[in-house]
Amino acid sequence: MTLRAWVAPLRRWRPPPLRLSGRIVLVSLALLLLVQTAVFTAIGQNIDRNAHAQLAKHIELAARVWQRLLDQRAARLNQGAALLAADYGMREAVGSGDLETVRSALDNHGARIGASLSALLGTDLAVKAVGEGNDATLAAALARLAPQLVQKPGSGVVALVAQRPYQFVMVPMRAPALIGWVVMGFPLDRALLDDLQEVTGVQAALVAQPMQGAPVLLVHSFRPQADASVLGRQLADGDLAIDGQPHLVATTPVASGSEGRITLRLAGSIDAAVAPFRHLQWLLAMITLGGVVLFGAGSVWTARRVTKPLRRLVQASERLGRGDDDEPVAQEQRGDEIGDLARAFEQMRGNVAAQRREIRALAFTDRLTGLPNRLQFRDDLLRAMAGADPARQHIAVLMLDLDRFKHVNDVLGYASGDRLLERVAERLLQVVRAGDVVARLGGDEFALLMHDADEALAAVVAQRILAALEQPLQLDDHKVDLSAGLGIAMWPQHATEADALLSHAEVAMYAAKRRTGGALVYDPAVDTASAANLSLLSELRQAVDGGELRLYLQPKIAIRDGSVCGAEALVRWQHPTRGLVSPMQFIPFAEQTGFIRQLTLWMFEQAAAEQVALAMLGVRRVSVNLSTRDLLDLELPEKLDVILRRHRALAEGFCLEITESAIMDDPQRAETTLNRLAERGYKLSIDDFGTGYSSLAYLKRLPVHELKIDKSFVMAMESDAGDAKIVRSTIDLAHNLGLSVVAEGVENEAVLALLHALDCDEGQGYHMSKPMPAAEFCDWVACWQVRAPARPGLAAELAIGAPLLH
Amino acid sequence: MPRFPCLALLAALLVAAPALAASVEVQVSDGAGKPLPGAAVFLESKDARAAAKPGPAVDLVQANRQFQPAVTLVTVGTAVNFPNRDTVRHHVYSFSPTKKFEIKLYVGTPAAPVVFDNPGIAVLGCNIHDTMAAWVLVLETPHHGLSGADGHLALANVPAGTYRLRAWHPSLPAGVPALDLPLQVAAAGQAPVVVKIAGAAP
Repeated sequence: MTLRAWVAPLRRWRPPPLRLSGRIVLVSLALLLLVQTAVFTAIGQNIDRNAHAQLAKHIELAARVWQRLLDQRAARLNQGAALLAADYGMREAVGSGDLETVRSALDNHGARIGASLSALLGTDLAVKAVGEGNDATLAAALARLAPQLVQKPGSGVVALVAQRPYQFVMVPMRAPALIGWVVMGFPLDRALLDDLQEVTGVQAALVAQPMQGAPVLLVHSFRPQADASVLGRQLADGDLAIDGQPHLVATTPVASGSEGRITLRLAGSIDAAVAPFRHLQWLLAMITLGGVVLFGAGSVWTARRVTKPLRRLVQASERLGRGDDDEPVAQEQRGDEIGDLARAFEQMRGNVAAQRREIRALAFTDRLTGLPNRLQFRDDLLRAMAGADPARQHIAVLMLDLDRFKHVNDVLGYASGDRLLERVAERLLQVVRAGDVVARLGGDEFALLMHDADEALAAVVAQRILAALEQPLQLDDHKVDLSAGLGIAMWPQHATEADALLSHAEVAMYAAKRRTGGALVYDPAVDTASAANLSLLSELRQAVDGGELRLYLQPKIAIRDGSVCGAEALVRWQHPTRGLVSPMQFIPFAEQTGFIRQLTLWMFEQAAAEQVALAMLGVRRVSVNLSTRDLLDLELPEKLDVILRRHRALAEGFCLEITESAIMDDPQRAETTLNRLAERGYKLSIDDFGTGYSSLAYLKRLPVHELKIDKSFVMAMESDAGDAKIVRSTIDLAHNLGLSVVAEGVENEAVLALLHALDCDEGQGYHMSKPMPAAEFCDWVACWQVRAPARPGLAAELAIGAPLLH
Repeated sequence: MPRFPCLALLAALLVAAPALAASVEVQVSDGAGKPLPGAAVFLESKDARAAAKPGPAVDLVQANRQFQPAVTLVTVGTAVNFPNRDTVRHHVYSFSPTKKFEIKLYVGTPAAPVVFDNPGIAVLGCNIHDTMAAWVLVLETPHHGLSGADGHLALANVPAGTYRLRAWHPSLPAGVPALDLPLQVAAAGQAPVVVKIAGAAP
């Protein structure tokens, strides 16, 4: 693994996000620790400085104590020596020159006062006698020391004898005039240094520094096994590690002479000096630790106090987020910001709850009638089903749909439609049993839920409803007759599931409507058909989107000269599995479901796309059928505009065919639409003329240009004189009204000739051609022109058609 | 201590000669030239030694824990009494070779005087009182005297002749011999002799 591979995860690592409380605690502790560290550092440095200063003072003191100790010893030795010097026997021995006695007296007195060395000097400072235990080196040393001793007889002199340090004192011997000097020497040994150490706490060592040769450590107060030799090697003052311990060392001169000098080296243990401070520091550390713990606890407590209500608020907001807005937010009775926040939260919760109630109300009730809506109805149904025993109890669902409600809406306006629905709701509520649920499922669809009701009871109620609806309704000036289709589905007989039950009621209702009103109980057989229809609708949609529809054209000829003057656009369905589907199989259904509007637009678009090509063949107009639904669509003209623009086609190149029944379904609205279409230049034609009941007066008002005689009359006119009369009079009527006439269903030459004789303008039928795919239409036109003998006016017709090319 | 046997013999011979005497005036001063009182001056010669005879007994009194006088000049063979006039006892001793003796713890005048029969300087002390000191100069000449407060002294009836003038003061370090100067004494008298004792102090 390379280093990079190791480092990468570390780089990616991010500390986990700190909670607010953690942050407060951390910051507080960090600040405290920072302050304490600063204090600690400052104190630590001060301790070092102070300890050194104090130690230096200690050492200075030790030096004075050392001098005092030496002086005291000197004084004591002086007394001892003076005692000897004043002893009568000693003086007598000296006076009489009895050196033997003198030597023994020196020994005796020396031992008495603890002097290792003793000697008698003459008045000329020459050694006269030395103690019996002393050797020649002492005599030599005394010869050297005597002049110094005479200088300061009281305080004594320190000197080396046989590499050992001694303190010497010298006192005069008088009888009563000076007759000699008594010299006594006392070793400066460990005991003295121990004394010093005991009194001052400072370790000491004596070091001889001869004029020639290396310094020698003579004696020291460190424990015997300690290695204090460094004191004899490092002569500089200051910090020095002795036996592994740091010490501060200072040097005091003890003696100096021609041979060299002796110094006292005082060493104070830095550790010992620092120790009390260390204790203080430790105490401070303990206090700091306690402080940190206390502070931390305090911070945690404070942070909790701050964050606990915050957490409660978070929980409350999470509850709100889940949609649980019933529980009030804990009202913090605190005056601080958190209290404000809690109150703001509570206010928000109240608002949210109110909004939610409103939304629920909106979601589960129908605003117009105040009745439960489909959702609520379904819930009620589910509850009813859950609460009922399928073995003993039945539930009936009645569903009804008003007939011609759309008509009312369109003619009288939506406001009236709404009022109508309200009135219907009122009537329904009047006739149902208490406890049963009336709901508006949407549009003009209502439903009734009957608890514990069998089929017979449901049927009775259904009849009551239908009867109630039969009473004419007064809306402003209009009296409206109401009727409805009503379907009944029973639980658990028809379905055990709520949705299935509702669906079954709906199926029954549509069946009732198809049967023109009344009530019908659900019949599984009816359901199958409705299912097939549903499937057909989705297949139709697929047909439009998937390009399964085909444009077919049937030519129209000008009867006067036999030229092709137009074509009717028809639709065929090239089903992927069923082959070519007849229009009769889906057009009625499309009309019923409203899907016809898409089909119309599709057809119009196809025709628009072919317009230029057809015009070149002399086909001036393509007829497209409009259904009732198209006519009632107030936006139809604009929709057609869009298509024209898309294909740069002209309205004049279209003839829009409308059936009489389509117009009469909503004459007012149809008239509006037709006027707007006519304004745009479309040629309008009344299809199937003669089959409906249109009033001529009405017809006269319409911007119609053409009548199309239904093929039932045309096909029969050859054999039926009556029909022939109808055809003739229709043609005359049309011509008198200034309309042109098209005859449908021309199936042979004879009929054509007849029509020619009746001065019919155009003809259309199998005699000329069946409807054919648009692609074949061109060839057909070419053939037709060759087959049909040129008739007068054909050229002129072509010339008239020419402007359409532009 | 110097001894002058030859000189003493010579002085005795000279004294025996016709006696023409004169007075010798001596002015003693210390090293700095200041008059030195209490200095002992004596003239030695052979004739003088011959003329020296033991004198009458002398008292060396102890009073106020002091020897009085501090310096006593006697001729050889003179007896010295040590009367104690203090109420405390004294223990007078001398380790000097000129005369070693001790008179242990006594009150009043001891029965027997101490006869100083050898020439020289004897230093006397008291074993009880270390500060007490006295000097007895045992001389072999009758011509001796102590300088007065003005450092002056006069020696009368000194026969003319050749002498050694000796001068000594107790402040000289122990063992230091007396100053030794030649002196010619004329019968007709002469100018005062000036003696300067270096190392002495009043």
